[in-house]
Amino acid sequence: MLQINNLHAEVDGKQILNGLSLEVKAGEVHAIMGPNGAGKSTLGYVLGGRPGYEVTKGSVLFRPNTVRAELVEALPSSSNTEEGKDSPSTSSGRTDGWVDLLDLDPDERAAAGLFLGFQYPVEIPGVSNVQFLRTALNAQRRARGEAEISAGDFLRLSREQAGGLGLDMEMLKRPVNVGFSGGEKKRNEMVQMGILDPTFAVLDETDSGLDIDALRVVGEGINRIMRRPDKAVLLITHYQRLLDIVQPDVVHVLAAGRIVKTGGPELALELEREGYGAIAA
Amino acid sequence: MQLDLPSNRAEAWRWSDLSALPALAGEPKFAGTYPDFHQLPWLGDAPEGPRLVFVDGTLDADRSNPGPIRFGPVEARAEDHPLARLAGQQGWSLRLGPDHAPTGPVQIVHISTGAADHLPAEIALDTDAQASIVETYIGSGWTNRLTAIRLAKSARLMLSRRLIGDSGFVSLTDRAELGQAASLISVTLAAGGTDTRLDGRIDLQGEEGFAEAGGTLLARGRQRHDANLVLRHSAAHGMSRQVWRSVADDKATCSVAARVEVARAAQKTDGEQSLRGLLLQRSATINAKPELEIFADDVKCAHGATVGEIDRNALFYLASRGVPVEEAKALLTQAFVADAIDRIGEEAVREAFHADAMAWFGFPLPLGEEGARREAVGR
Ligand SMILES: Nc1ncnc2c1ncn2[C@@H]1O[C@H](COP(=O)(O)OP(=O)(O)O)[C@@H](O)[C@H]1O
Ligand SMILES: [Mg+2]
Repeated sequence: MLQINNLHAEVDGKQILNGLSLEVKAGEVHAIMGPNGAGKSTLGYVLGGRPGYEVTKGSVLFRPNTVRAELVEALPSSSNTEEGKDSPSTSSGRTDGWVDLLDLDPDERAAAGLFLGFQYPVEIPGVSNVQFLRTALNAQRRARGEAEISAGDFLRLSREQAGGLGLDMEMLKRPVNVGFSGGEKKRNEMVQMGILDPTFAVLDETDSGLDIDALRVVGEGINRIMRRPDKAVLLITHYQRLLDIVQPDVVHVLAAGRIVKTGGPELALELEREGYGAIAA
Repeated sequence: MQLDLPSNRAEAWRWSDLSALPALAGEPKFAGTYPDFHQLPWLGDAPEGPRLVFVDGTLDADRSNPGPIRFGPVEARAEDHPLARLAGQQGWSLRLGPDHAPTGPVQIVHISTGAADHLPAEIALDTDAQASIVETYIGSGWTNRLTAIRLAKSARLMLSRRLIGDSGFVSLTDRAELGQAASLISVTLAAGGTDTRLDGRIDLQGEEGFAEAGGTLLARGRQRHDANLVLRHSAAHGMSRQVWRSVADDKATCSVAARVEVARAAQKTDGEQSLRGLLLQRSATINAKPELEIFADDVKCAHGATVGEIDRNALFYLASRGVPVEEAKALLTQAFVADAIDRIGEEAVREAFHADAMAWFGFPLPLGEEGARREAVGR
């Protein structure tokens, strides 16, 4: 579903990503761990297309309509015909549904199915969450040639998603993230994810700033929204606690702008025990 | 007509560009047709009230329903003002007796078909009378107005103006005197293609008066909006608010000079000014000049003036959720000006003004409809 190849990127002329390669298949959850300053958030921003994050080398290919055949029983009807190869064919490039993600504007990436959960969600005074989300959802739908959602359906959808994450509907009527606690902002990111229903989510330290109960709610939210054979997640985190709830298929260690080690879930436990120093060295 | 216009060297006119006026004044009147009554920008779902149509400053009687409004000599003078003094003596007046109020808002549409037109007006509300007046300016010439406002004890006036003409110039000069506990709320929206010069002088002469004067100036291309306001507290326990939001794109200029004067007798005055500007491009200009002149010692006056740009973090946050950059800018700009428009009390008027602002941003269908916008401000 996502193929990152030898990605180099710089910010303000400073090289941050140094040949990062990674492949995520449909149905998978990958965790990315690594010391502060390693470039984890930079990776998220580069995938999201943030202005100022300059890709100097490498590629990112994205194929949103991918389903893992062996996981398909879990999928509710219809979409299991939409089965495709989960790696880009070498030369024909985009002809079989792969798109060059770096070619798209940030809003086009979102419409293609990408979601970026922010480490530091942004406050927008004067714009309510409801207005923000409805504008976003309808913009995505327009971009995909779909009809806009009605006011009633949108309200139902947002009530359902807010409820699923224990966020009061009244909070959604308030300006985006203004006056929200750290934990409320992170829950709000997940409410947004639930409403926008992306194919691929990059979640940047969604667990930081959460207490134990909130962590469980958020973790279960991620599972509910994203744990499907036709979706995938890149989970950036420092802590094993979230990985106990959202169990990763693959764990990567990111240090100094590249993946220095890849393993199974046991790698996260090892990191927790021994720290990044020993592993990344 | 011989025009005697002030130069930019005069402090009060330094941000204005009146150079187009002589040519506009010399233009012939347009002789064609103009929109039908029903196509004029009347408010969508406001209660029925008096409606007036002025074409080039002349009442179109066939298309008006003036209610309590009269025509003839009016008491409005501004000899010291180089534009307002041209307004003449024959105009419209709304004089309400004690406790009177028109049913529904008074809607006035001023159509300019070119050239120059001048018109004075007088609004005089007796004790406890109240009125809401909505003026809409459309067309292409130079429209020049002088409005004298006199509010007796506890009278209340809500004056909402929107300038949505295609081109030309609109100059509005207000002279207001408020009696004891009277209340004036004046909100102006410039969301068209005209240049503007707005002048206001509001004097709170009675105790416990309340005045709010502000607006939203939207400019692009080489447009210029220039607002100049003096709010004078002459008596004690008065309260005033000036909320202005300016948005300038391209090479446009928005200027707001707002002054609060507090006379020695005006103890316990509570005054606030908020002048904020948003530059959509660095080639645009926003001038903000807040001034305080205080002679009383027990007063509370706050003022703030800021000029900024669109928040890039918010822009990327919106984009990352799928909102294209132009729409995201419109949404953020709308949120920026919302404060000033939200001062309008009546919902039908307020929403019409919001819709005009959205249309200026290029999104005539409000993003996510009006309901979603209203929820943004917790209504
Ligand atoms: N806007 C920026 N300008 C300059 N350097 C930056 C900027 N953002 C991040 N960096 C630098 O890039 C490196 C990686 O940062 P980041 O991706 O936030 O790391 P992580 O998320 O892994 O903690 C750090 O050295 C940080 O100082
Ligand atoms: Mg980070």
